[in-house]
Amino acid sequence: MTIQELAEGRIDFKGQKTADDIVRVVLITSTFLSFVVGFAFSSLMITMSMFALCTVALSLVVLPPWPMFNHHPVIWLSAQGHSQK
Amino acid sequence: MHSIYARVNGISALWSTCVMVLLGAVALSSFLFNANPKGNLDIVSLKVFHSRTRRYPFRNEEIGFVKFNLSADFTPLFNWNTKQLFVYLEAEYTNAQGVNNTVVVWDRIVRRKEDATIDIVQKDKYRLRDLSGSFSNVLPAQYSLKYNVMPYVGVLSYGEAARTAEPIDFPDARDSVS
Repeated sequence: MTIQELAEGRIDFKGQKTADDIVRVVLITSTFLSFVVGFAFSSLMITMSMFALCTVALSLVVLPPWPMFNHHPVIWLSAQGHSQK
Repeated sequence: MHSIYARVNGISALWSTCVMVLLGAVALSSFLFNANPKGNLDIVSLKVFHSRTRRYPFRNEEIGFVKFNLSADFTPLFNWNTKQLFVYLEAEYTNAQGVNNTVVVWDRIVRRKEDATIDIVQKDKYRLRDLSGSFSNVLPAQYSLKYNVMPYVGVLSYGEAARTAEPIDFPDARDSVS
């Protein structure tokens, strides 16, 4: 694995779809939940720290190219008719 | 979403929208709390003295000294979105030229809920001075205790907690004792 591959952290197409779904669901629910919990405890500190923690956790799950995002690699057709050209 | 940078971009785009929605919801939530605290305000004494102006050496002016008795409980104003309160005592009068004036005589910043109960007998923090230099021919003044709620997120709101029952006359100016 080259340094460029490590830095890019590519994932396959299905993995991209999964990552996108996770981001959407987690960010929207954490916004809603942190508001409700902060309101219940009447503390803006709880709201903001809960939202920040959710964001950090989400980044840890989604940003690195974990193996679960690379279960469906693209299988290319083998090169054929090379000699015909 | 294919590379780390694309994922950072994708997360931060939705994240910023979520933060704006969250802050907007917090700002709107303070409209759910409509506390309207009331207190008592009595003017104990009002004295007017002749004095020299500070800035102009050969001009005289009159200075009003207010002593007041004030009790109010502002704790209901503290909700989850209240950062601090600005409480102030205002004198409202129409001067001899017919101009309406509101002058802040005393103020206090309340930062904690524990300090929000105010019960004091005190003299003014800021003297009463009129631009014309005199309080003769001035109509009686009303005094009111007002507050300004400063939230963490959202709009400032203002309110009035107490007001003197009837306007109070400015007495004739006397010569300074000291």
